[in-house]
Amino acid sequence: MANTAAFTGINGLREIRRSPASHLAEAFETGSVQGTVTLNEGPFQTMAGVRVDPRSEAGTRIGSVTGGLPVRCGEVRGTDRVSVLWLGPQEFLVVAPEDAHDSLGGDLIGSLKSALGDGAGQVVDLSANRTTFELSGPQARAVLEKGCALDLHPRVLKPGTALNTEVGNIPVVLFKTGEESFRLFPRASFADYLGRWLLDAMREFASPEVP
Amino acid sequence: MLLISCPNCGSRDETEFHYGGQAHVPYPENPNDLTDREWAEYLFYRENTKGTFAERWVHSTGCRQWFNMLRDTVTYDIQAVYPMGVPRPAAPFPPAADTGTASTGAASTTPLSPSTAPEGATK
Amino acid sequence: MSTHQLPEHPDFLWHNPEPKSSYDAVIVGGGGHGLATAYFLAKNHGMTNIAVLEKGWLAGGNMARNTTIIRSNYLWDESAAIYEHALKLWEILPEELEYDFLFSQRGVMNLAHTLGDVRESIRRVGANKLNGVDAEWLDPQQVKELCPILNISDNIRYPVMGATYQPRAGIAKHDHVAWAFARKCDELGVDIIQNCEVTGFVKDGNRVVGVKTNRGTINTEKVGLCAAGHSSVLAEMAGFRLPIQSHPLQALVSELHEPVHPTVVMSNHVHVYVSQAHKGELVMGAGVDSYNGYGQRGSFHVIEHQMAAAVELFPIFARAHVLRTWGGIVDTTLDASPIVGTTPVDNMFVNCGWGTGGFKGTPAAGLTFAHTIATGAPHKLNKPFALERFETGALIDEHGAAAVAH
Repeated sequence: MANTAAFTGINGLREIRRSPASHLAEAFETGSVQGTVTLNEGPFQTMAGVRVDPRSEAGTRIGSVTGGLPVRCGEVRGTDRVSVLWLGPQEFLVVAPEDAHDSLGGDLIGSLKSALGDGAGQVVDLSANRTTFELSGPQARAVLEKGCALDLHPRVLKPGTALNTEVGNIPVVLFKTGEESFRLFPRASFADYLGRWLLDAMREFASPEVP
Repeated sequence: MLLISCPNCGSRDETEFHYGGQAHVPYPENPNDLTDREWAEYLFYRENTKGTFAERWVHSTGCRQWFNMLRDTVTYDIQAVYPMGVPRPAAPFPPAADTGTASTGAASTTPLSPSTAPEGATK
Repeated sequence: MSTHQLPEHPDFLWHNPEPKSSYDAVIVGGGGHGLATAYFLAKNHGMTNIAVLEKGWLAGGNMARNTTIIRSNYLWDESAAIYEHALKLWEILPEELEYDFLFSQRGVMNLAHTLGDVRESIRRVGANKLNGVDAEWLDPQQVKELCPILNISDNIRYPVMGATYQPRAGIAKHDHVAWAFARKCDELGVDIIQNCEVTGFVKDGNRVVGVKTNRGTINTEKVGLCAAGHSSVLAEMAGFRLPIQSHPLQALVSELHEPVHPTVVMSNHVHVYVSQAHKGELVMGAGVDSYNGYGQRGSFHVIEHQMAAAVELFPIFARAHVLRTWGGIVDTTLDASPIVGTTPVDNMFVNCGWGTGGFKGTPAAGLTFAHTIATGAPHKLNKPFALERFETGALIDEHGAAAVAH
């Protein structure tokens, strides 16, 4: 307990911070099949859990910080740097680059908190809650389809859609960022499991396709 | 596997949900006034209907919202999905088009659902 | 593995009489509990002018669908007493019923995977010993010696940290048990009436005086309900409520294998229980489906989860194939203990709420329920299991010992 006083905010800990799947980095590299499907753990991000009624005044104020709030399942709003993912009718996940964090010179959490003000709701710093996996390539969808029951076909699932669902039997926020790229946000404690699950699901694509 | 139409998220696998038992069981207004029998009824006795049953579910992996559902406990056919706080709708119901099959329908078709399903949220 | 040969498939072990217009007692439900109740009514209480009504075919409900595990290592005194009495009856019934239903006392292990499991299990072993129930605590190495195919590696998600073991526990051939009771009932003069569905009850004031069926009304002095998952439906017809919920419970078997599994292994924590039937199938079960259901089937993900647990505990099973899956309807109570006793309706008695563990209790349920019906008052073994306990608060919480499936 006593030693923690020596650190000032996240900055003091930044150097020793390890991402939840850092031990799998090499496996992700060797397990990736360039031009087919690749997997890596993305950099740390600043994440905030926001609960607010989007139709309330506080909701409007928060929306002006984040570049709007999504109004329905799947929708993502935001700016160049900030994405706001719909988790529920009054629950959102705000995702931004790591340096948007107040402890690293940014002001995202603080500005969200002051936007909420006295309004009903909450802003919680969840930057350490989830990690980010990037899965891309022409076979990325085929990999996900082994453990995700949603219709991931491009005629249904468009880029720019984020859904709270299950992949490989665990809860994951699945963000389709491009025609062939997905971002997965598992909770930190599931990172090892999901990383290994994805590697296993990718393995067949390293071999020539059986006609 | 039940395919359940979440009013917010559209059809999702049963594994994304948790079951909440019988719907429309109010907390006693004056718990201290209850007899032992009445308290036992509140704590331990629930309907165990064979047939259409009003029950609560929560979309725990999705929007984390509770909702009510009418489901046949024999055929497992989902007959209606409706918001919390709304009285049980009267029968009969048209067969649910969006449940129990691998439907590719684009939107939730359950009666009384407050929003349609978004892109990508259906199966 | 037993060296017994299976008895020849029987032609006729009981008659199929037409229902009479009146009986001294009617048992609703022709499963194990109904047949055992009728047997003990006839044998112990001399009541032979009785009928067992079965809406389908004899022993076609949960009696045909369970995983046949018999054990008595329950925590509380009340449960240990009734389940241990059942186990002692299982030990003498093959001789008494003159039918070898292959009761194989190969032992039952309940695995512990967490420190909490270990503490709870050791506590239960202690409680069992005080109640005269044979119980031992095994360390992982002893577990491995008894069941070599179990994976006791530390390097799995839920390593085996030990197990409780009851050597006298085991399995039996469930359908042969039903046939054994049915044949004796028939010999003693009990009418076993299949395809006879109860549609209502005739009451005189608050007293039941008859049973309406799809084959006509039958007058009777007493009614005993032994309908497991359908108990609520019958209670509603009779005008009272039961604190039970009916859930689907699934089980499955693999194709036949050489003897590989010498005992019975149950794991509450990872939700699977496995034995190998006399013929060679691996018989497995898991937890109930969460939702209420009267369909004799459940959801696939429950089986998937159970298979994952089974393969982690028994890596050798990875190459086995599932042959059949099915479901039964179990009647669960909130304290995971049965209800055996009187009801708010005079002369009507109920035996239900056995949940996922009814098979092992069959002989004791029959014995105590028959006593209750014949005398109008509970046997000392089933007295604690009265319906009134939900009002008095004297619950018998057996989620620890029964928790695999509740």
